[in-house]
Amino acid sequence: MQYLTQLLISGLAIGAIYGLIAMGFAVIYKSTGLVNFAQGEMTMIVAYIAWTISTTISGNLFIVAAGAIISAIVLGLVIERVVMRPMLGEPVFATVMVTIGLAVILRSSINFIWDAYPHGLDVGFGRDIVRVGNIGVRTGQIAVIATLLVLLAAIWAFFRYSKFGVAMRAVAADDRTALLMGISAPRVHAAAWAASSVIAGIAGVFFAITYDLSPAMFQLGLKAFPATILGGLDAVLGSGIGGLLIGITENLAGGYFGSGMKEVAGFLMIIVVLMVRPFGLFGERDIERV
Amino acid sequence: MAMTTQAETVGSHTRAEDARLLEFRNIRIVYDNAIEAIRDVSIAVPEGSIVALLGSNGAGKSTLLKAMSGILHTEEGEVENGSIRFRDQEVHRLAPDELVRRGIVQVPEGRRVFPALTIDENLQMGGYTRTKAEARERRDKVFALFPRLFERRDQIAGYMSGGEQQMLAIGRALMTDPVLLALDEPSLGLAPLIIDRIYEVIVRLRDEMKMTVLLVEQNAQRALDIADYGYILETGRVVLDGTARKLAANEDVREFYLGVSSSGRKSLRDVKHYKRRKRWLS
Repeated sequence: MQYLTQLLISGLAIGAIYGLIAMGFAVIYKSTGLVNFAQGEMTMIVAYIAWTISTTISGNLFIVAAGAIISAIVLGLVIERVVMRPMLGEPVFATVMVTIGLAVILRSSINFIWDAYPHGLDVGFGRDIVRVGNIGVRTGQIAVIATLLVLLAAIWAFFRYSKFGVAMRAVAADDRTALLMGISAPRVHAAAWAASSVIAGIAGVFFAITYDLSPAMFQLGLKAFPATILGGLDAVLGSGIGGLLIGITENLAGGYFGSGMKEVAGFLMIIVVLMVRPFGLFGERDIERV
Repeated sequence: MAMTTQAETVGSHTRAEDARLLEFRNIRIVYDNAIEAIRDVSIAVPEGSIVALLGSNGAGKSTLLKAMSGILHTEEGEVENGSIRFRDQEVHRLAPDELVRRGIVQVPEGRRVFPALTIDENLQMGGYTRTKAEARERRDKVFALFPRLFERRDQIAGYMSGGEQQMLAIGRALMTDPVLLALDEPSLGLAPLIIDRIYEVIVRLRDEMKMTVLLVEQNAQRALDIADYGYILETGRVVLDGTARKLAANEDVREFYLGVSSSGRKSLRDVKHYKRRKRWLS
């Protein structure tokens, strides 16, 4: 029982990180109709920037957090303006290929700018272990789960009630008609990239705080992508929940069937789910009227 | 080979007299730097009137509307010559959102409601450029015009019938508080009864709300019934224009756009006559 609870909690924690990155995927998909394959790399870059801030400027938690968020916004805006906007109106396939290229460039930039060794991000928080009964949890793990839940609620409200949130959905559905209504699609896209970058960055920083920072961190994106497919590419909330499900599944599989199963468990679950619901657990079926 | 085209004007009413709200002046539109979609077209839309833009598929009607709304570039189209003027200012280089702020809006062909959004959210998007208070006021007016939308305000737009979607598309455009409302084929694919409803509303917009309407239609009969003035477009050029009444009485128009001929049925001789005239025009 204790073993199970331990597995569940650490599964939830890593799942929350997947979930955050998956939400980043969904935010971009929902407003631009694109899958951004550089999501994991953006996660990693922001985490490295946070680490640089913590080692050079200050290790204060709030300074690192503020610096990471600001640099994530800048990163998202720069990528949208420099790489994605020229691709506006080009075929989706070409644009998605561009994000793959971007992923490779960002991935290698880690070695150019930083180095290939693992680092710990120390902000004086996150690695302490809290004991609840006889189960040990890292404070960083608790914090990331809480952050995911708060962000889920905030984003749900944003897409549902704010004018800009509704505009994002409108642009995703039909950008030309959105233009006709006076909605500036480029501005909406820029905001989506910035928001997605921030969400992914938060995940990256939490991962670095709780575990370690390494040039292999981009693989988080590979784990998060199935989460967003599971939850539904167009479902931001579903993606967050999909992350939790994947995290728990792979942790349980790893715990009971060995680490070989851990890698494939998530994907197995996706195959089964997609056979039943091809648009994801929480995705919207295309509405088509003839 | 072809020289300047002189469009035929029927009736004594020339299009120079009225206060022009919108004007296409000798406009030429080219797609992909190669395909000429509109050649030397001049159209004037007087304030407070309904102007019908008629013509068959591919005549260039929608292209003119896209140019008016500033979205030609999304299809690699470009205004190469001439200008579009709104309230005596050149507007064809303005961004779409600026045009909407100035009061130009169009209801696109095929309605194009945002399918996954509710009716309320669709309307909210129409009011995107307006303040919250303005949008609320506009929405009350739209609901007064289309009570059906009020009844179904929380429903998903994609599940509505074609007629309701057309009402929503018009309502959404009205949310922008337009001075000039352009409608691209509002009758397309709708039942005759529904078309009646839509056309009633268009007339009310002109008569009660003093709106100026540019009506693009393939359904010439319907459009000429309510329009004040009409232009007939063919392969990118205006071939005929005049008051709606004169156009409706014109023999060629009756034959080719209204589907009735003076002899009661279509005869080959009329076709020849028409072809001759066409040759002469080009």
